[in-house]
Amino acid sequence: MNQPRDDSLMSRFDRAGLRRFTARDAVVSVLLAAFLLVLFEGHSVLRAGERMNPGVGRTAVVAVGHPSSWIADRLPLASLADKTTAWLSPDPSLDGGGFDEPSAVAVGGSIPAVTPEAFSPQAIGAKPHRRRLKKLLVTGDSMSMPLDSVLAKRLVDKQVDVVRDAHLGSGISTTLVVDWGKLSRAQIKKHHPDAVVIFIGANDGFPIPGAGGDDVGCCSADWAALYANRVRQVANAYRQGGDARVYWITLPTPRNSARRKIARVINAAIAVGAQPWASQVHVIDTVPIFTPGDAYRDAMTVDGKDTIVRQADGIHLNDAGSTLLATEVLRAIEGDFVL
Amino acid sequence: MLFPTVQFALFFPVVLAISWALMPRPKLWKPFILVASYVFYASADWRFTLLLAAVTLGNQAAAVLLRRTEDERRRRRIVAAAVAFDLGLLGVFKYYAFFVQQWEDALSSIGLGPPVPLLTIALPVGISFFTFQAISYVVDVKRRQAEPASMLDFAVYLSFFPHLVAGPIVRAREFLPQLAKPRDPSRVAVGSGLALIALGLVKKVVIADYLGRAVVGPVFAVPQAYAAPDVLLAAYGFTAQIYCDFSGYTDMAIGLALLLGYVFPQNFRSPYRATGFRDFWRRWHMTLSRFLRDDLYIPLGGNRRGKLLTYRNLMITMVLGGLWHGAAWPFVLWGAFHGVGLVCEHAIGGRLRLPGWLRWLVTFHLVVFGWILFRSPSLDEFGTFLSRFTVSGPASLWTATAVAAIIVVIGTQLLPPDSLERVQTWIERRSPALLGAGLAIVIALAGATVSGQGVPPFIYFRF
Repeated sequence: MNQPRDDSLMSRFDRAGLRRFTARDAVVSVLLAAFLLVLFEGHSVLRAGERMNPGVGRTAVVAVGHPSSWIADRLPLASLADKTTAWLSPDPSLDGGGFDEPSAVAVGGSIPAVTPEAFSPQAIGAKPHRRRLKKLLVTGDSMSMPLDSVLAKRLVDKQVDVVRDAHLGSGISTTLVVDWGKLSRAQIKKHHPDAVVIFIGANDGFPIPGAGGDDVGCCSADWAALYANRVRQVANAYRQGGDARVYWITLPTPRNSARRKIARVINAAIAVGAQPWASQVHVIDTVPIFTPGDAYRDAMTVDGKDTIVRQADGIHLNDAGSTLLATEVLRAIEGDFVL
Repeated sequence: MLFPTVQFALFFPVVLAISWALMPRPKLWKPFILVASYVFYASADWRFTLLLAAVTLGNQAAAVLLRRTEDERRRRRIVAAAVAFDLGLLGVFKYYAFFVQQWEDALSSIGLGPPVPLLTIALPVGISFFTFQAISYVVDVKRRQAEPASMLDFAVYLSFFPHLVAGPIVRAREFLPQLAKPRDPSRVAVGSGLALIALGLVKKVVIADYLGRAVVGPVFAVPQAYAAPDVLLAAYGFTAQIYCDFSGYTDMAIGLALLLGYVFPQNFRSPYRATGFRDFWRRWHMTLSRFLRDDLYIPLGGNRRGKLLTYRNLMITMVLGGLWHGAAWPFVLWGAFHGVGLVCEHAIGGRLRLPGWLRWLVTFHLVVFGWILFRSPSLDEFGTFLSRFTVSGPASLWTATAVAAIIVVIGTQLLPPDSLERVQTWIERRSPALLGAGLAIVIALAGATVSGQGVPPFIYFRF
């Protein structure tokens, strides 16, 4: 057998002074760490499970998460750990206006009045009042990336302050990562943007609690209505009583058939959710741009050249797709603002 | 399944306990660890396991054929076929969209249509690592540096979950002998294993993700919006981030393997301590460096055929090494940049005598410059990033935490190696109960720094 050069330092753990233990010690120390984590962080297991996509893995994690959470609930250790480590969290604390508040769930019984905000100036042939755009918030889930940086680059020379605030893994139909009802209010309070671009929905499809408290599963008309109500709540926060403009981007048709069904319902819900304020909340429909006829495609003609516009996951837009979308978004923004 | 996730925290203790219970019976242990590794891999996408199985079967077939023949020409052909098979898979899954788009751009510039469909193909996690391990196995067998393994042993070697998705690239001759007999249950490096897992977790979750979130991500996304102080911080920040991200993953992988009774080769050795490009590549991603050296640079002729051919071989090796990291021009140029650095070092030889601190300073900043290229999404963005060094403005991202994180990451690599070893030895001597409690505390504290959006994927997962 030829002897190759040994530069892998495979014997580095054989040095003198290294204490060796038994396999039992290894198992005990790892199990002890797991046990302590259940006592102090039991809720995290259940939360992690609930955030996972349906499947065997999720079932297993949730199955362990329930007793872990039960144990953590009955001991003061979890809350002690939370209080002790809260200062380390990078997330801002959000309060008020969440999706779980009764006003967010209730559906009115009377006939809602149509207001002037329901008419976009273009639809009634009126001239829009255009002002200078000073601050733009680009937000959403992973769909909003890299659109946010493309917009920021395009607007940097126009003295527009672009705030990029993507919340990966989040969705309108779930509050497990972040409650967009609360988050939208916090974003407005913090940034006071003149306009908001929101592109979200890649992770949606979670059951939404209905007015009666029971979960309504995706993607019935009931679920679409609940989703639209949440869209309306978020859009209402972003429009700031009519002072700001909102550009809500629909989902381009995804490759996966299950996600395609969800995307179709989400897009319909966005259109309905934005209706009361058509002059202030513009829906930018990506389906005719990227997936005409609701048919998925990886590539399309851009500037006379065939170009891949989607990422390999069949959900997100790549750099070229985001650049194309940014042009559409800026066109919409220019209808309301001077750039 | 990422290491720093609840799913893995549930998966690993179960696998660890069963693994040691079955260890005395290899006929049960090997199928068990194989199934566990495939379950681990299937959690990303079960279809990827078919690819892993295909690579296993294809390369084992080559190894078996190599055992049956002594004819050198035939052996060379078998290796060539196996390498072509592995690189073909890598080409399709990793580079198809990139090369087809480049081809399409070139053809459309002369008025011709697309030659093949423009499609995106999902990149199977870890494909770059396990295809390279498979190549190293076939090459080792061909060179008679390793015996052909049994089908089961080879499948375990290729799929062993601690190294499956992001290395280190373990050579067959390092791992297969460990599989030959059950690991000794009375000699487990528990202290080193747990310490490495804790250290890796802190590097990845606390430092790398913080720097990525607070400094690197914002600046590299829109460099136009930042002035010189911030782009400088982002350049140093990414230097610290990528080290913590990748070496953190490696630390965890090595630690997990140690708890299971296996030793992996070292992958990092204070790379920012390097005083030259050659020195850097002996410290950074060491298992890739030696793969490129043993399986590309030396077969090309190495430094045996005169200066010019040595330079050519260095450039080819480093450009392909850059391309291995991803299908984008910045990676190719990053590899070429390091290739030029190595060529210059060879050309200068020992003629230029500089003090050690100056060699370190120059090397470090050339490496930082290379990382800017590596991190830039395109060459245009790279140019924009560099141009911002000339723009004066506020240091809007300079916080005490960010600066301290960068100083700690780079500073600890400049400490004498024995001072870190002393800390490690102290940890290794604690009792298992104390080590377990310590790991729990580190996980809880590190977990508290994770944003609600979860732990971002490791940078090297996409390679």
